[in-house]
Amino acid sequence: MRKKIVLWMLVAAVWILNSMEALAQQKAAPVFEHVHAITLDTEARSLFLGAHSGLFRSEDAGRTWKKVVLSEKHPHLDVMAITPDPKDSKTIYVGTHEAGVFKSGDDGATWKQVNTGLGGTDVHGLAIDPNNPSKLHAAIRDKSDGIYRSTDGGAKWTRVDDGPEGEVKVLKSVNIPTGMGGIFLYAGTSTGLQRSPDCF
Amino acid sequence: MGGLPTNRTVNGFAIDPANSRTMFVAMRDGLFKSTDAGASWKRDGNGLKNLAAVTINPKKPNEMFVSTADGTIYVSADAGMKWKKQQ
Repeated sequence: MRKKIVLWMLVAAVWILNSMEALAQQKAAPVFEHVHAITLDTEARSLFLGAHSGLFRSEDAGRTWKKVVLSEKHPHLDVMAITPDPKDSKTIYVGTHEAGVFKSGDDGATWKQVNTGLGGTDVHGLAIDPNNPSKLHAAIRDKSDGIYRSTDGGAKWTRVDDGPEGEVKVLKSVNIPTGMGGIFLYAGTSTGLQRSPDCF
Repeated sequence: MGGLPTNRTVNGFAIDPANSRTMFVAMRDGLFKSTDAGASWKRDGNGLKNLAAVTINPKKPNEMFVSTADGTIYVSADAGMKWKKQQ
């Protein structure tokens, strides 16, 4: 009888310890609020997640996350898009709801804003050309909304098109030739999926 | 774009790194796959719902990740046929 009681006490102790560990993990898990984007970096080492509560990075395929600070000046950024450079594993771009586009050249360790020429800071999509990664398109939803293009890795932006109908949620350059010298831009929007040649 | 729920929000979009004509969209209604550059779509994702984002491993095109709107991550090792909750 005594052996049975000791055994049950051991089982209960293990269960309590496991529950406490699970609770501690829950407390440590970040609160994303609302997710907008997930992307692996070019070397598939890190999984990045963009959410209402910021940018997060996981080194274990999404089991645990660490917050990435984009800017001390903007501690509460809503991250809408994450776009790694397909030919330079150290370069990553991030589009935010409040502060435009950020660029890192050191695998996410440091970031700088690259907004020169953008007609607003509310980025809803950010696409990189897989053949020519210095060419990017950004979907801006602000005072001067539309599609903006950079041909120099985000240093300067120029408005090139009104953009698709509806609110853009995601923007991607897809390596499918249009027959007119460019490739297609696909946009996921509030009214569905749309595509357009990128030679605006 | 036949086969996608009409007039509904497309939250996420991913391209197969091995074949640009194969693509996935993430929606509240679930995951959808096209193998003809978006001309037609079929439901994928084995019942996943309320999806906010999708991505494909650039080094291993059979490995995919999706996130629900509240940040629950699911991973597939077979190009979207079976999914496992990541924890």
